[in-house]
Amino acid sequence: MTGGLHLKVVMPSDARYLPVVRGAIGPLAAAMGWDEADSRAITLALDEALANIIRHAYHGRADGLIELECREGADGLEISLLDTGDPPDRTKICARAIACDQPGGLGTHIIKDVMDTVSYQATPAGNRFVATKRLRKTI
Amino acid sequence: MKISVRDAGETKIVEVEGDVDLGTSPDLRRTLFENLLHAPKLALNLAAIRYIDSSGIATLIEVLKDSQRRNKEFVLFGLSPAVQQVFRLTHVIRIFQVFQTEEEALGSA
Repeated sequence: MTGGLHLKVVMPSDARYLPVVRGAIGPLAAAMGWDEADSRAITLALDEALANIIRHAYHGRADGLIELECREGADGLEISLLDTGDPPDRTKICARAIACDQPGGLGTHIIKDVMDTVSYQATPAGNRFVATKRLRKTI
Repeated sequence: MKISVRDAGETKIVEVEGDVDLGTSPDLRRTLFENLLHAPKLALNLAAIRYIDSSGIATLIEVLKDSQRRNKEFVLFGLSPAVQQVFRLTHVIRIFQVFQTEEEALGSA
């Protein structure tokens, strides 16, 4: 028996790769035990985090790199993203009022709603985003 | 993502199929804004959308607000489960007119 599931991908900061990652993360979440709706939500949260990096860290440039790591732990999933673009503006994360009719800032609310913990860290290697979601097992 | 447009009386019906994300939502945005100029009512069929992210939802909000400024109507119908889930997560469904079928959407004026 091997350890938990583990996926590591280095992708360009190019939106054309987003469907490729979505195609991998949904089945990975399902293999870890989440149902279809939760797997879809996890996929959405990861997609939003990647889109934020492409838009705000790399300002739409496609020549940056994003390192993605998904790891199955004892009680759930940890997603880690590393980029070397501009650091996130913490004052704008979830600054949008929920349920308002403004078009911007929806992505960070989705990430926060779907995942159990979310953190943004500045590290010597770059900007690190880490999010976890517990798998609630039913007996 | 595939987009097609057809007429139903004075209404323009926009059909979208596939994934709406950061890479494809600008095309949807362009199509919706262009067609809003040429009809008093725009109806968007979301039944064949497999995936939509917040950039897609933001596009719909922008078009809705533009339609209101122009005294036009922008309605949604046929929300797929994936679309419904994102609307729930973003809490913005209440600002849209949403219908189950095309017939209901066309009869909403």
